[in-house]
Amino acid sequence: MPDFDSSAAVFKSRANKLATLLATGGERARLWRPDELAAIFRHQMSAPMLVDLGTFDPRNATRLRTLSEAQGLLLKSFSELFHHPAPPIELLELIKDFAKANMDHPESGLPDEIAATLYYTSIAAALVRLDESISRLPDADLQRGLRWTMEQAWLDEKSRELLAEALEKASGTRKGAVS
Amino acid sequence: MAAEPSTSSIFPRTDWAELDRAADADAARLDRLIRLYWQPLKIFLMATFPSLKNQADTLLQDFAEDKLLKEGWLRKADQNRGRFRDFLKTSLRNFVLDHLNRAEVKNPPVSLEELEQEPAQPDDLSEAFDLAWARTVLAETLRRMEADCKNPGEDQPRRGHIWEMFRLRLLEPVFNDTAPPAYDQLIDRFGLKSPTDASNTLLSAKRIFKAHLSKVIKEYAGQDAAAAIEIQALEDFLARLAKRS
Repeated sequence: MPDFDSSAAVFKSRANKLATLLATGGERARLWRPDELAAIFRHQMSAPMLVDLGTFDPRNATRLRTLSEAQGLLLKSFSELFHHPAPPIELLELIKDFAKANMDHPESGLPDEIAATLYYTSIAAALVRLDESISRLPDADLQRGLRWTMEQAWLDEKSRELLAEALEKASGTRKGAVS
Repeated sequence: MAAEPSTSSIFPRTDWAELDRAADADAARLDRLIRLYWQPLKIFLMATFPSLKNQADTLLQDFAEDKLLKEGWLRKADQNRGRFRDFLKTSLRNFVLDHLNRAEVKNPPVSLEELEQEPAQPDDLSEAFDLAWARTVLAETLRRMEADCKNPGEDQPRRGHIWEMFRLRLLEPVFNDTAPPAYDQLIDRFGLKSPTDASNTLLSAKRIFKAHLSKVIKEYAGQDAAAAIEIQALEDFLARLAKRS
């Protein structure tokens, strides 16, 4: 590939391109296109949990490693955790917090849709696999969130099934500890 | 002394404190000031006297030696007499006219008719100047960013990826109208571990771009507040031109 000469590019460009550079170069501009969400979600689900969660809260890195390897659980990715029959609740809570932090942080680069999906899927996994609630959301809000997540076109079928099951449970009476 | 208030022009606002220091200080500082204003002045000269464009560098060199480097000249750029940039432009224009008058006796460089036709429309001249200035600022910003990213410290082994991601995702699509590489391709190419990793790399690129842009502008605008206003002026000016094109 020939070298890109940024100076030459700038000097031969019209104002509209320079304006675009300034606008998209700004931190407020969206990083990823909507049509990339499927690839981003796949990447997120296959990503090692320790990469994101360890960075999110480095103090928990050792604890995370212990949890993910305990009792023969070889939980390496987000997907493996969500679809494990008995995922450690602390890990699900940590993912929920990680997702929430990204949703709330104005400078987070993680698309809101992905962060929200992680958030609701962690809650869904706790409800379905452990019969526990790790959310303080009012029932109506939780159901709305679960439904919204299920409706995302780029969601994989396994996650959609998990969310559907959680929605069914959440529509009944919730039980378990609230943290 | 505070920088002069914001104007619609993106010509460098004067840092009078710097100017005072420059007026008193050594040749190195004056040289820096001259180099800083060199390109805009050249553009102004060429736009004001199109027939002299081949002599622009020589004339500017003469102007620098005869005027800017002359002790005390910079002191004349008194804040009370108007903006430094206007003072500088007026001085350059008068200098060139003097030069033409002096040369006219021996070998007129341009005809009287031509001279009468010379001055461009003020708005056009101002926009051409501002656009050239914006290009200079952005080119310098990208040059510094690339150099910065390509020469990382030992503790920044992935900094080279930041420039490449910025180039592929942003610069080439903007300037060459190419499609940005798909997210999946970026994962393979840069060994990205997660979407957060990918996003942070791209966000870092944008932050580095912004930091260099601020630094380039601050070098002539002076203070943080003036630089921020200048960036906004740059954005507004380019957006306004973009809408018209």
